[in-house]
Amino acid sequence: MTNRVLLSLLILGSVFMILSCSQQDNGYIRFGLSSAPLRLDPRYATDATSARLNRLLYDRLTDFDETSRAIPSLAQWEQLDSLRYRFVLRPDRRTFSSGERLTSADVKATYDFVLDQKNASPHRSSLALIKDIRVVNQDTLDFELSHADVLFPSYLVIGIVSAKAVQQGINLDHNPQGSGPFSMLAWPEEGRLQLQRRHDKQVFEFVHIGDNTVRTLKLLRGEIDILQNDLPRELVNKLRKEKGVSVFSRTGSNFSYIGLNFRQKELGVRRVRRALMHAIDRESLVRHILGGKTRVAESILPPEHWAGNKQIKPYAYDPEKSRELLEQAGYNNENPLRLSYKTSSDPFRIRIATIIQQQLANVGIEVELISYDWATFYGDIKAGRFQIYSLSWVGVKSPDILRYVFHSKSVPPDGANRGQYRNPIADRMIEQAEIATSIKRRGQLYQLLLKILHDDLPYIPLWYEEHFAVVRQDIKGYRLNADGNYDSLSEVSRQN
Amino acid sequence: MLRFLTYRLFSTLLVCTGVSIMVFLLIHMVPGDPVDMMLGESARPADRAALRHALGLDQPLWTQFSQYFSGLFQGNLGVSIHSSRPVSELLLERAPATIELALAALLVSVIIALPMGVLAAVRRNTLWDRGAMAFSLLGVSIPNFWLGPMLILVFSLGLGWFPVSGREYSGSLVLPAITLGTAMAAVLSRMVRSSLLEVLGEDFIRTARAKGMPERIVVWKHALLNALLPVITLLGLQLGVLLGGAVITETVFSWPGLGKLTIDAILRRDYPVVQGAILLISITYVVVNMLTDIIYGIVDPRIRLGSTK
Repeated sequence: MTNRVLLSLLILGSVFMILSCSQQDNGYIRFGLSSAPLRLDPRYATDATSARLNRLLYDRLTDFDETSRAIPSLAQWEQLDSLRYRFVLRPDRRTFSSGERLTSADVKATYDFVLDQKNASPHRSSLALIKDIRVVNQDTLDFELSHADVLFPSYLVIGIVSAKAVQQGINLDHNPQGSGPFSMLAWPEEGRLQLQRRHDKQVFEFVHIGDNTVRTLKLLRGEIDILQNDLPRELVNKLRKEKGVSVFSRTGSNFSYIGLNFRQKELGVRRVRRALMHAIDRESLVRHILGGKTRVAESILPPEHWAGNKQIKPYAYDPEKSRELLEQAGYNNENPLRLSYKTSSDPFRIRIATIIQQQLANVGIEVELISYDWATFYGDIKAGRFQIYSLSWVGVKSPDILRYVFHSKSVPPDGANRGQYRNPIADRMIEQAEIATSIKRRGQLYQLLLKILHDDLPYIPLWYEEHFAVVRQDIKGYRLNADGNYDSLSEVSRQN
Repeated sequence: MLRFLTYRLFSTLLVCTGVSIMVFLLIHMVPGDPVDMMLGESARPADRAALRHALGLDQPLWTQFSQYFSGLFQGNLGVSIHSSRPVSELLLERAPATIELALAALLVSVIIALPMGVLAAVRRNTLWDRGAMAFSLLGVSIPNFWLGPMLILVFSLGLGWFPVSGREYSGSLVLPAITLGTAMAAVLSRMVRSSLLEVLGEDFIRTARAKGMPERIVVWKHALLNALLPVITLLGLQLGVLLGGAVITETVFSWPGLGKLTIDAILRRDYPVVQGAILLISITYVVVNMLTDIIYGIVDPRIRLGSTK
């Protein structure tokens, strides 16, 4: 009897395991994601994955070129005077996925919703200068501003949703209604989203696979076709040697840096900050750890940015000079400089921090490494509970970030000047740039500001990380974009 | 039985209330702000404040607590801070995957552990016994974050038998179930062996053998059934743990279960999801233990639940 029970268990188990999940082989193109999208409503989405997927579902009025300058997307614009802009929608624009034509009323409905305080959109503040939006006709609308800002068109990058959806209060997360090249097919679970390309009905499945190794193995076995970024160097190098997949990369603009706390008396001294700068061998870190197209950085805005400064002379790795500067600041073997260095618990970040710790030890700086989970780490950084920390700015497009990070009035909670850097000249330059009446003049002022920041070192600039993608060889047409978006999926196909 | 059930339901209610209070307070005491996690670094202070207000996080802790509890008594677990989806919907979405994996792992462990434990006990101090105990030691010692990728390398990449991860393919369940079931089987086989050895030394077994009963019947029918009580206790406890979600295995195999949901929610400081998930896990644990107690009575009719005698 017991034998029969055991046999039944065995058969039951095998059948249960093999049949418990449905077969899936349906010609989908699968994209492996390191983090799952959270919101498909562009009025609320803030995380990078959601933002990239929303670009596939919705069109926006303006976009950015390779130098981060605003360019027309859904609409051309004309500046009527310093406070008024007219936007004319492109005649060849796509319809919404529901089949309705996108009109200027939809644009107004989208922006009115974001600006309405009761909707608590996280994009409201950056658009708060909009005083009024007037629909001129089906294709044209005017924006009136409360104060002049030559960068205004670059703020209009929120996906346009249908006015009907806004009025009816439709949940756009699960029923996105945009005019982008893709439409939603299904979102069966948080980590698995299916979008359909509208012109040929090709389905793309976006699958969240948190573990880097598993994501790599899935690509090698053909369970996913494309993955982009967020893999440690050693896995990328392994993939380069594999048959059946191609790895390609391009320069990126995500800026990694070490933040310094000016309230700490040691770090308030410029000589000490320069000693830190000269002690870190960024070239060698880039060459051996990051590799590919990662570039050593000198400022928060990359040199190709329209407000970036190409003339800044890089700091050289010079341990001798570093020791000399420390000596001048009163530190030596008997009285070494001691610092605590906070980083997140991400293994790759810890590895980089450990190497920097060793490089600083080589010039006599004793560094204690502290790592926390992201939420705790970020909470500490925001509260100013640090001496030095490493972090990255991701997706920086607008030079407005310079006020947010370096103006003396931007100390948290009013901004991200966490190290409490204060320089009246830098403050004045930021303020002057913001009232400049031409983009050219504004760019010049920002370039001067970047030079001041490079001399003052409120941050130790490290590098701009590359973007890379790994694609199975039967997938054609995938290109990497400057900001890491997935727009080229519009042209991707599988070729047998 | 009725008395037993009433008592256990009452204690379940008490446990769940205690767990809810503890989780609410602990998650709010942990450093880290859900609004920061949600909006990222470049969000403006006014947007942060607006979102904090919209989520009710600007309310005093006591007000948030009373709102959470009054919702709880109306069966409302709240809404996820990050995805704006009802917590109950998220839990229901993940529960089938967790139940499926837990049952499959349990099945794997029983299929491995029962014959192995019996073999080790019946052939005590032979190579079979030593082999079984070596497997047991190995099974307990190998961590899932190593075993999982090794199984993937051999059976997915090497032999191509099973998919690497996910739940959407045929046979997806096999590798995670083996990963999770192996460690359980290791513990279980030791328990079966020691319990069976004890029973095999009892007088009634000697009597059965003296009556000329075949050894197969003595071991599998008389001895094993009597040796199962501690094994069932262990199975009940293990199932409770498994139904709470196997975080490492779920992460390695991208298995969309409750464990992964809970960990992601903790890392994002998604308070309502953490509270809801832990409440569900504790209810599951208590209910599984209650069912284990009921099964005792079925396996050994001498045990009468709720009886004072």
